[in-house]
Amino acid sequence: MPHICAAKQINQHKKALLDILDTLPSIIVRVDRDGRVNLVNRRFEQFSGIAAADAQGMLLETLIPQFAGELQQVAVVIDRQSALTNARIRSGSGADLHYYSLQIYPLDFDMSEMAVIRIDDITEHVRIEEIMAQTEKMIMVSGLAAGMAHEINNPLGAVMQHAQNIERRVSADIPANLKAAAEVGVDLDLVRAYLEKRGIFAFIGHIRSAGMRASEIISQMLYFNRRTEPGVVNADVTTVLERVVGLAATDYDMKKKYAFRSIEVVREYAHEPICADIALQGMEQVLLNILKNAAQAIAVTALQRAPRIILRTSLSESMAVIEIEDNGPGMDEAVRLRVFEPFFSTKEVGVGTGLGLSVAYAIVTNGHRGTIEARSRPGEGSCFVIKLPCRGGHDA
Amino acid sequence: MMHNTDITVLLVDDDEMIRDCVTAYLEDEGFSVHGAGSGEAGLTLIASLRPEVCISDICLPGMNGEEFVVKAHTLCPATRYLLHTGMLYSLSDELLGIGMTADDVLLKPIHDLSRLVNKIKRIAAAGRTL
Repeated sequence: MPHICAAKQINQHKKALLDILDTLPSIIVRVDRDGRVNLVNRRFEQFSGIAAADAQGMLLETLIPQFAGELQQVAVVIDRQSALTNARIRSGSGADLHYYSLQIYPLDFDMSEMAVIRIDDITEHVRIEEIMAQTEKMIMVSGLAAGMAHEINNPLGAVMQHAQNIERRVSADIPANLKAAAEVGVDLDLVRAYLEKRGIFAFIGHIRSAGMRASEIISQMLYFNRRTEPGVVNADVTTVLERVVGLAATDYDMKKKYAFRSIEVVREYAHEPICADIALQGMEQVLLNILKNAAQAIAVTALQRAPRIILRTSLSESMAVIEIEDNGPGMDEAVRLRVFEPFFSTKEVGVGTGLGLSVAYAIVTNGHRGTIEARSRPGEGSCFVIKLPCRGGHDA
Repeated sequence: MMHNTDITVLLVDDDEMIRDCVTAYLEDEGFSVHGAGSGEAGLTLIASLRPEVCISDICLPGMNGEEFVVKAHTLCPATRYLLHTGMLYSLSDELLGIGMTADDVLLKPIHDLSRLVNKIKRIAAAGRTL
């Protein structure tokens, strides 16, 4: 009965091959020239929720319509006998956003024209790439900003200090001024009266206050070069977040401009304390900034839906996670990818310097060795996720 | 009571512009002010001037401000030292290292020089009582 043995062997080989297909993390489908399914692996079943038997003979693009565009190329791939690759397909949005890579290979099987389709979920890979690109970009722009700040400091100091010197050099309180005035034969009181009448003292005052404003921006930019944060304590992230919500409630801008009290604050906190080494002042600045942005964003959509902020704390893979989610207008992808850049602002000119989130980024990444990430669903809201290395006890 | 005219100030900063505007203000206030463009030049001056107060930039070419203050302090321990820096982030560490020799740190840019005057007067008076 050698033929029975042979058939058994063939079956064993077939099963082994199918097992291999089922073990692969990729979605594998074999289709005919029209795109009708004749073989799927287990990953396909899990992904589509369709059993192999039910998929048999169906048009693949109706089963996984998100890839319809690429799947229409099956006949072309077979005709040309050359593979087609789409390295990055975007599907869904916000938390459901996924990236896939898709390949179609021509296959001669049993004299009939077929194609094999392989699809991989590369979301995690894309996310890591994005974080790396973000980190690289931030290192570059932050270095640039900090370098600029340092260079501008001295000339800015000279502008402000000489403005002050000018004021002082026409003062009657300084004997050297009186002496010099007498030497050139002018009355210092008259000089002062003239300067006053022509608004020159006010101009000098404006030079000084403009200098102060610039120096505020400069001092924020210097944060980018800061490697460590002062005042680190081991604290529970929930306690820190709660304290900031308390601060926000009493903050003038939050109360008057963004009606913080009218925003529903939902707390989804961890039940246990989650401790991390936190530079309180820096982290409070980060959280308050994100809360302010959230309140500001919510104001835009307040007429469409009740304003709401969700605060979450949790523990994930040895990281203390803080999430601040709003139900404002959200951000599109182009904005989301740039929110942490210094001077990037979607607010009207003059409303924000565009430094708040970039300083937050510097404090979290440089000062705490943590990560900060923006997630968003345009039209539905944004969520900022901060992760800090978890450490230590309960002495918050 | 110590008068401003009794106080000699040495200002070490490589930026001439900064030396000029701080000097102008301090001279108007009656202080005797001398400038140095580097730590090396500062060390030469400090021994002969024996100033009550020395203000030094931290970022200096060649010998940096920290080194300068440590060396100057051994040459002239009676002088009180003020550090001037734009680098917010470096404050804590540097203060740890030279906290023994420097009395205070000023953040650049100084918005209001009258504050600098108050600081000079305060630390000069403290130096006198030592």
